[in-house]
Order: sequence, then structure tokens, then C-alpha cells
Amino acid sequence: MPFDLTINRTVHHVDADPQTPLLWVIRDHVGLTGTKFSCGIGQCGACTVHVDGRPVRSCSVPASTAIGKPVLTIEGLSRDGSHPIQVAWKEFDAPQCGYCQSGMIMSTLALLQQRPSPSDADIDAQVRNVCRCGTYHRVRQAVYLAADLMKKREVKP
Amino acid sequence: MSDTGDRAGVNRREFLATVAAAHGAFVLGFWVPSRANAQTVRATNWYEEPATPEINAWIVVAPDDTVTVRIAQTELGQGVWTSNAMMVCEELQCDWKKVRPQYASANRDAREKAPAWTLNVPGEGATDPKGGGEPTFGNRDPKGVSGIPDSLYRRMRTNAASSVKDGRYYLQLAGAEARERLLLAAAALWNVPVTELTAKDSVIRHASSGRTTSYGQIAPRAAQTPHPHPEQIRIKPPDQWTLMGTEQKNLDVPAKVTGETIYGIDIRLPGMKWAAVKTCPVYGGDVKRYDFDVVRNMPGVRSAVQFPIPDPALTRGRVFSGGVAVIADTWYQAKTALDKMPVEWTIPPEHAAFNSTNMHAALVAALDRPGTVRANQGDVDAGFAKAARIVEATYSTPYLPRARMEPGNATVLVTNDRVDIWIGDQSPQETRFSAAKITGLPETNVHLHLCHLGGGFGRNGNGPQAEHAIMIANANRGVPIHMLWTREEDFIGTTYRAMGVARLKAGLDADGWPIALDVRTAMQEGGFGPEASFHVTSRYFVPNYRYSNHTTKFHVPVGTRRGVGQAAHEFYRESFIDELAHAAGKDPYRYRRELLARTNLPYKADMIKALDLAAEMSGWGTPLPKGTARAIALEERGTEGNGSATVSAMVHTVSVSREGKVKLERVDVAHDTGFGLVNPLSVKKQIEGQITWFYNDAMHQACSIADGRIVENNFNTFPISRIDEDPPVINIRFFPTSHWLIGMGHDRATSVESAIGEAIFQITGKRLRDLPYSRHDLKWS
Repeated sequence: MPFDLTINRTVHHVDADPQTPLLWVIRDHVGLTGTKFSCGIGQCGACTVHVDGRPVRSCSVPASTAIGKPVLTIEGLSRDGSHPIQVAWKEFDAPQCGYCQSGMIMSTLALLQQRPSPSDADIDAQVRNVCRCGTYHRVRQAVYLAADLMKKREVKP
Repeated sequence: MSDTGDRAGVNRREFLATVAAAHGAFVLGFWVPSRANAQTVRATNWYEEPATPEINAWIVVAPDDTVTVRIAQTELGQGVWTSNAMMVCEELQCDWKKVRPQYASANRDAREKAPAWTLNVPGEGATDPKGGGEPTFGNRDPKGVSGIPDSLYRRMRTNAASSVKDGRYYLQLAGAEARERLLLAAAALWNVPVTELTAKDSVIRHASSGRTTSYGQIAPRAAQTPHPHPEQIRIKPPDQWTLMGTEQKNLDVPAKVTGETIYGIDIRLPGMKWAAVKTCPVYGGDVKRYDFDVVRNMPGVRSAVQFPIPDPALTRGRVFSGGVAVIADTWYQAKTALDKMPVEWTIPPEHAAFNSTNMHAALVAALDRPGTVRANQGDVDAGFAKAARIVEATYSTPYLPRARMEPGNATVLVTNDRVDIWIGDQSPQETRFSAAKITGLPETNVHLHLCHLGGGFGRNGNGPQAEHAIMIANANRGVPIHMLWTREEDFIGTTYRAMGVARLKAGLDADGWPIALDVRTAMQEGGFGPEASFHVTSRYFVPNYRYSNHTTKFHVPVGTRRGVGQAAHEFYRESFIDELAHAAGKDPYRYRRELLARTNLPYKADMIKALDLAAEMSGWGTPLPKGTARAIALEERGTEGNGSATVSAMVHTVSVSREGKVKLERVDVAHDTGFGLVNPLSVKKQIEGQITWFYNDAMHQACSIADGRIVENNFNTFPISRIDEDPPVINIRFFPTSHWLIGMGHDRATSVESAIGEAIFQITGKRLRDLPYSRHDLKWS
């Protein structure tokens, strides 16, 4: 049953079962592969995207829940890596294998939208993504730098 | 170099650029020629035919001075993409900002031999700063499993923390050979002696005439200018390094923050179908029957393929399971149908009889049977007879998988004359061999298009992801098949660090110093690293010492998980030294220090230095709040001899709340550099990552066995720590030593395991000897 999804401000006409998890529609029907599959049960956060401004584990919600709502994926942040979160990530050389980092960055975006000056406790509570390489130490520093950069540049997340 | 060949209207150097599809295209099958789209080139990394002639197999210089460096190891987050390029570019003396890594061709590797000047390690081994060090895999082996092949790119494996150590000499030589030929070409062009030329940042100068040329300009001539005596080229020793030894950000990171990086899972090909796989959850089991008719009419479903247990000759003797795949237009369709398809298994009853309890009992029983004696010095029994006190402890460690983030996958197209494989792969030479054996085609007709890996932690889990995909695609010749495991299937398709037990028994003299030590460890047959940390001689002085390994047979396939033998064995060793120190009433740091000082080990001064530095950094001995404790441990590999070695020590400051919540508060790390670290930034990142890795082993992770099956098979039952458990403070200091490192990518920070246990003991009085700690009641009052 075809339906439309608005992803990264572009309308995509999708011919898929609307009960298909949003992740697979994004990856296999729309063709945006920056959002990753890892656990399939909403645990690890590698599939985190924003629906209507809120972070969701896209492997565990049907695509139908995103109909009529804006969806934002890592590709929508910036194409050239210029978004403050991406800049901060590069500054600290945060990624290792990088597979979890799209989700990590999308969780950070949600955090900074809610709390532009996050505390350690805020980060602990909201950036719940699994990183198997163990990049957490650099991610935390990068979150603080990203918060500073976003304020300095007055970027609306 | 038939990577470029066309076939049936498909140019295989084109591929579906999913990132490009973001710009308005919504239809799968949107194709972009790879060279026509800069983003595409940035996002993918596999071998391409160069537009300009290569100088040697590692180096291509384009007219704009862009240097392509071919990388034969796989980037899985450890930074090899950057460190390998640094080793080449140090010697090439090119502009680092213009360096573009690219995967070496495993197909060319099957066709061409390595240049003769790369074959022999220069210098005098591990303690010669001017030489190439002492490779771990120094002997010759055509498959590259136990040694190094003579084929073009030598060792294409990524394992054992050996990429820098084993590849350095020939990567430096490759850069130096190219530099010398660029200089020779310029000298010939200008008709001046080559000795009057200098090369720096991709520019060649002739000082007396003021002439200059760039690498890009002279490269076509250099490609035609052989070096008359390449065997006489020398590599730079560390005191001449200008790029190596500096902190360089990883070249692959920018594409990882935009989602552009193409991992194996992201491959899309025209006409590609997806395969979801279910294999028998009990290893050694196979499909008895399945009923495809139940699902054949589900949306997108095309077919089903049964495949056998992968030939153990292709999986280094390991026996996995047989299985069945459903093939569909999308993976979710395939998986949905597979979940509904009835499948029955043939399960070996003797395997189904295994469970964690009887396996643990079998390992403990093995300790009392004769084992392989790896050290026997003095008279241990006489030492025990004379001892004032006997201390004995038995430790246990569970089965542990890698649980890398990217589930196993591969995309394979088999036709009647070639095999193409798109895969993130830590061992492409082995995969090439598997493809040839499964399809009956020669290895020279196998083409691997290598992708970055979403985590590795031991050769793709040492599992049969490639073999599954090749078998399924071989049954569907002409159709590209993208096989992807579920997370649960990834827990079956991986190999495990072997479950282990150890019994350590020491006799102490009246002052608390050990006079006899008997160490017995047990793992199943085939478990990796049985010798680790205890073999040859005791690292801590004891005049009477015996070390033996004991085995039994289990059905779970085991492999080289990050940390290999050191992870469990250093947990046993360092935990026991803590217990002895407490029995002796001595400070665990001073106790270790004195016992190291009493040895004749060649690197004892380095080990003492590591302990002293870590203790000093941590404020060892200064007061801590109640409920907080420090613990120290030594980490070493290679110190039983006088060759390559890596030495570190860490102090972990740990708190335990009265409710039993453990927090790793701070880690102070003292780590030796050997003669030099190639990229100290990558080393720091690897240390940080390994602190998390072994923290998880210590606190959370275990796979148990029930009815022969792995029980914990997703992240709800196999927990992985989040950012809140990361230590707020990590201090890392390096100190120089006079040997080449043995590697540092997999067995650093093992100390987290013993140290948290020691801290729990100090705080709660509970001495815990089996991991993970979170399964114990840690409350105290």
C-alpha cells in the first residue's frame, strides 16, 4: 500500500507495507543507509532517527506512525559535515568503527534541542546508544563542544 | 586486473549510491558511476583501477598530487586506515593532506607476487630501532592464517593487534621505494645527480638551480623508472620520523559523522535480492525439513535455499550449523517470511546435552587430570611442603561473543566465470579461498570489494558470514544476493572466547612471599591463548613454579576474540596476586613491585616503571572516601622473553554504593611506547575503547549454554554498558622503552577485570572469583 513519508524535508513516495519498521523503509525503500540496523529490538539505538522532532528507535516502530510527520535522519543534519555536532565529533575524532555514530549523533541532537546546556546527568539519561568500540569518553566531550558551538553559531538544531 | 571488466551490461565498478538517492530519487536502482560522483568516491573505499599509472602496488600519485595509498588491512575502528597510510607517507614525504586511502585488491593479490624487496624483514629484530621489528606472523603461509604470504599485498589479515607491527617494514619500504623513483625520474629529467635533489610535501627541489617539480607532475615518469637496487633502500628509524609518531585524526572519521560511509550492510546492486538466514541453534545441527510452501506467497518472497554446515576446512576446523535462507525483494520481507516458515532441526543429542553447569563442572574436573605443562621450575611440591601458609583460589570466566554492532552480512554475485563479494572482512585472503572452494572457480576469478566493518574484535567474529552468502549466491547464480544475519543469528554465527576456569595455589613463606606457585587453567580443546600470561616463567618471582593447561571437548566454536588468552589469564593472575598481597598483609602495588624486582625478566624495569607511573598518577595511597577503592594491575605481553613486548599498568578507582552499584570512577594508564607509536591518537582511542570492552566483560557480559544453545543472544539479555558507565576520568601517559611493541589493539585494559574485583573486596569484603560481577549481590553496610 503506497504512502508518502517526508524525510529530511523531501517527500518520498513509498510502495511498502506500512507496518514495515520505519528503519527498513528508510534504508531499503528510500535508500538512506546512514541509519543502521543492529539489534532489531529497540535496545541499541543504532537506528535512531527523529520523528516529529523526537528521537525514536526506528527498527521498532511501523513506518505508518511517521506518515504526515517530519522524519529527520543523519543525512538531514548536513551533507558536508558542517553541523556543530558533526564538527565536534570530528574535533575529538570520536568515532571508531562508526557504525553506532549516526544514532549517537541523532540522540545528541535530541538532547541539545531539549537542553542546550546539558549536564553529565542529562547526557547519561538521554544518550543511551550502545557503542561497542567504547567511544563514550570522546562522545561526552564532543557533546559539550557541540553545545558550545551551537550556542556560538546560534544554530537551530 | 579484471576488477574493471564489464559483464551483461553491468559495470561492476558502478554501484547503487544510496547517498545519492537522498537527493530526490526514491527508486532503488539509481546508479552512479563511481568516479563521476565525489561523494561516492569518499564513501566507498574499494580498489579501483587508477587513472594514472601506479608507482608501485601501494601508491598512485594523480596529476593534482593526490596520493592514493592502498591499504591491505581492514578498517574496523582501530585506525589502520590512517596508521598504514602514515607509514607509507612518512617515507614518501608527500603532503599528508592529499592522501586518500583505498583498499588493496585481493584479486590482484591472487595474481601477483610481492616485490622481492618487501620479502625480508630488515634489521636485527625486536630490539633494533633501525630495523623492521619482529613480526608476529613472520613465517610464510600462502593462506595468511598462521604466517605471511608472498603474494602482492603480503598479509591482508587484520588480527592479533599486528597491523602496525607486521606491516610497518614493507609499508615504509613501499613509501621509500616510490620516493626514490620519483627522485630518480626528476634527476633524469633535469640531468642532475639524484643526490642533489630533496623531496618534501610532494615537491622535489634542485637547490642549486632552483628548479622544482611536484609528485603529480613527475609521477608518470617515475612509474616508468625502475629503481636499480631496491634491496638497498633503508627505512627511517624513529628518530627520523616526522609524520609517524604525531597524533593524526583518522582519515575515515569525516564520512562516519555524515552517514556516508558504506559498510557491507549498505551495499545495493541492481537486481539484488536479500537473504535472511536461520541456522540450527545447536552447533553441529542441521536442517531436517522446512516448508517453504507456507510462506512462498508472502509479499516479495522469491525462494528458499538450504545450505549445509560450512566445510570446516573453510572455517579453520570449526563446526557451525546448517541452515536455510529465504530470499526476497527486501530483507524485512525475507526475515518476516523466515520467521513464519516451519523449520525442523536435526540436533546431535550429545551437543544438546551441554549446559553451563555441566560444562563448568567438566572444566573444573579437567584441572585434576594431567595437562600440558608449559613451565616447571624448581620443585613446586617441595615448596608447598615448606610453606608457612597455602592460598588457593579458583576463578571462572564465561563464554563471550564479540557482539560487534554490524550483524554479519555479505553481498555475493556468482556467475559461471567469476565471483564478486562486497563485504567488510578481516581476512579477505581466506574469504577468497572459501569462494573458490564453494564455487569451483579459481581464486584468480574471485573479486572482493572491501568495506569498512561495523566493529570487528576478531576476524569477523571468525564466523561463516562469507561462506553462508557464497553458498546461497552459488545456488542463485547470476543474481546478486545480499545475506544479512539478524542479531540473534549473529550470536550463532560468531565464535566465542572459550569458557574458562583456573585454579591457582601458592605457598607463602613466613613473610608472605610466594615460595611455590601452581597454576592450572582449563579451556575446551581449540580455545585460544592457553599459554598467555603464565607460560615460560612466572612474571612475579617465585622459586618453584608450575603451569599447566587442561582441556576437555565442547561443541561451541571458539576463536580469537579481542583480548584472546590474556583477557582471562590476566584476570586470574592479577586477581590472585591481590589475594596473596592481602594474605601477606602487604600493599598490592608494593607487593607486585617487589616480586617483579626479584625476577630476572628482561623487561622487568619496564614493568616496574609502568607500575610506578600508574601508581603515581593515581595518587596511590592517598585517602579515598568510604565506599571507594583503588586497585592496580600489570598488563603485559611478551615479557617472558626478550623480543617484542607491550607493557602497561593501570590503576582503577572504583566505588561501590551500599546498594551494590559499581562505578568505575577513574583510570590511570601508564603505557609503553616501545621505540615509537605510529599514531598516538589512535593508541589513546584504543586504550579508551578497551577500558569499555573489559569493563563490560567484568561487569555485565556472559553467554550461558542451555540444551546446547547460546542463551543470551541480543542486547536485552547480553547487556552492553552505556555512556553513564564510562569512567569520568581517564589519564593516559606514555613512557619510552627499548623494544618494538607487540601490539596494543586487543589486550590492553584487561586490568579492569581484576581491579573491579579487588575494589569490591576492599569495599564489601566479598572476594568474587567468577565473572561477570553484576550477577553477584554487591550490597554492603
